[in-house]
Amino acid sequence: MKQLLVLLTLFTTGAFAADTLHVFTWADYINPDLVKQFEKKHQCKVAIDTFDSNEAMYARLKAGASGYDLIFPSSYIITLMVQQDMLQPLDHAQLSNLKNVEFEVLGKLADSAMKHSVPYTFGYAVIAYRKDKVKDIEPSWKTFARTDLKKRVTLLNDMRETIGAALKSLGYSLNTRDDKQLAAARDVLIAWKKNIAKFDNEGYKAGVDSGEFNLVHGYSGDLWQVMQTNKKVGVIIPNEGVSASCDEMVIPKGAPNPALAHQLINFLLDGKASAENMQNIGYLCPNSAGLKLVEKEFLNNPAVTIPADVKAKSEVIQDLGDDLKKYTKVWDEVKAG
Amino acid sequence: MSAAKNIPSRRAEWLLTLPSLGWLAVFFVAPALIVFLLAFKTADATGGVSAGWTLDNLRALADPQYRPILWRTFWISGTTTLICLVIALPVSFAMARAAPRWRNFLLLLIIIPFWTNFLIRVFAWKTLLQSDGLVSQLLDATRLFDESPTLLYNSGAVLLIMVYTQLPFAILPLYAAAERFDFTLMDAARDLGASGFRAFRSVFIPGISRGLGAAALIVFVATIGMYVVPDIVGGTDSEMIGNKIAQRAQGDRNLPLASALAAALLFCVLLLLILCSSAFRRSEKLDNALKGELQA
Repeated sequence: MKQLLVLLTLFTTGAFAADTLHVFTWADYINPDLVKQFEKKHQCKVAIDTFDSNEAMYARLKAGASGYDLIFPSSYIITLMVQQDMLQPLDHAQLSNLKNVEFEVLGKLADSAMKHSVPYTFGYAVIAYRKDKVKDIEPSWKTFARTDLKKRVTLLNDMRETIGAALKSLGYSLNTRDDKQLAAARDVLIAWKKNIAKFDNEGYKAGVDSGEFNLVHGYSGDLWQVMQTNKKVGVIIPNEGVSASCDEMVIPKGAPNPALAHQLINFLLDGKASAENMQNIGYLCPNSAGLKLVEKEFLNNPAVTIPADVKAKSEVIQDLGDDLKKYTKVWDEVKAG
Repeated sequence: MSAAKNIPSRRAEWLLTLPSLGWLAVFFVAPALIVFLLAFKTADATGGVSAGWTLDNLRALADPQYRPILWRTFWISGTTTLICLVIALPVSFAMARAAPRWRNFLLLLIIIPFWTNFLIRVFAWKTLLQSDGLVSQLLDATRLFDESPTLLYNSGAVLLIMVYTQLPFAILPLYAAAERFDFTLMDAARDLGASGFRAFRSVFIPGISRGLGAAALIVFVATIGMYVVPDIVGGTDSEMIGNKIAQRAQGDRNLPLASALAAALLFCVLLLLILCSSAFRRSEKLDNALKGELQA
């Protein structure tokens, strides 16, 4: 029995002896080469776990999941996480590359002093389509009302994004609390639902690539990644405006390895690393040093830089507190409708 | 058997079942109780649970929005159970009648799919059924359709893959019952003039009725709470109660309402178990009474 105990302790301590950084992020959201460089530089292992919606990530942490060192949520849910005292304040002394973060982007965020969070990427929810199968496409959310696409269409399985797209198609704010506007968005979505195969957050990427889907609602960087290898896939930016989101890096309270988490934040904020990262994941990193190094072609891609007039009509999803219930009600009605 | 001999064996029985009872208490009863308790709590907007108690979540279950989902859940699980039994009955019959060497081989074939992860098997079906997949190509080759029909993202796909994933759970208990079945009874029925099918229906099926009950119960209970299959191969019209519970717990940040739904589901399953076990007991009593009469 004693030998067994000794053996067990040996095994468990063995597993924790090498420094492991536990990262919780979106799929394909960090350049794997950079991860290798970081592991080599700091003699550690980076373990990446993924989530497919901010809500899923939040629910998991709220239910008591611990052990993560660095998380990449969107800004609206970070506001909530700060309110809930779930995040550690960042130690700016360990983050010499904070100076690279673009000033302009910070101005739009709740945590503009970067007390708890550092902007990582800036992206949009847009539409991708198969150039070989969909003809005469208009840059509009109303494309989802087209009945000629044979149900080979997906919308995000994300309450805020998808109701947001319907609200935008009607010219309303995607953070509206107005019941009438939300009811109108519900009716639009029930009509769109008849033309779609499913609400989907992860399969759309492979689906539009293989031709299983003709039209998908998805995140700009993910769709950029598909466009790099498949010339039949194109992106349209709806002219009614899109949802813009900023994903940021945060360190949760109780993180086992906060020092190494700070190191990774600083590493990713480095100008050269940031440029390499952007050109791998397809999302714009609001990093002034990185943006100087990145190829011009990358910045000209429609999935990376959207037209100025559309940008002016775009909004960032905000936390609505108790009024989130209104969205839940609409979402239930859409799913049942 | 004397009463004095009975007491120590009782104690031994208890001691032997204690580990499994403890296991059940920690990993089943305690979580189920937590779910029940949470169902009477109020949710706050941040995904937390407030201190007060309420019946609102139970009242919310009466909301008409759940009716189509409940109906679909029962319809899909019921049909899955029925199809699984219809396929498993002849399979288990054939397996029990096969030569012992073949029997083990067939049993192995039933069990082999379990060596692959459940999720991977579901994704494999997705690859087969997708619009450019093997099945669609075969359908195209028959030229029966102008354009190959969409096979995925509907309730039919959910049903097909549910049957596929649950079939072994129907075959195994039925085979266990069929293996113990006395096949000379069927020969006797044939000798008395029954047709093969009649003997199967009136002698074999009643003879393995308990295995049948167990198989039906296992498949029904496993499918009624299914979340993964409708999530992966279902479309906009195949949401089941499991998916709703996931939405309540994650997207809506309403753990108490998710718990109320889960508790309602658990309650349905418990009710079903109680009904079945009382039916078993009644049939056992009837058996014993019959045996007693025969001996007298």
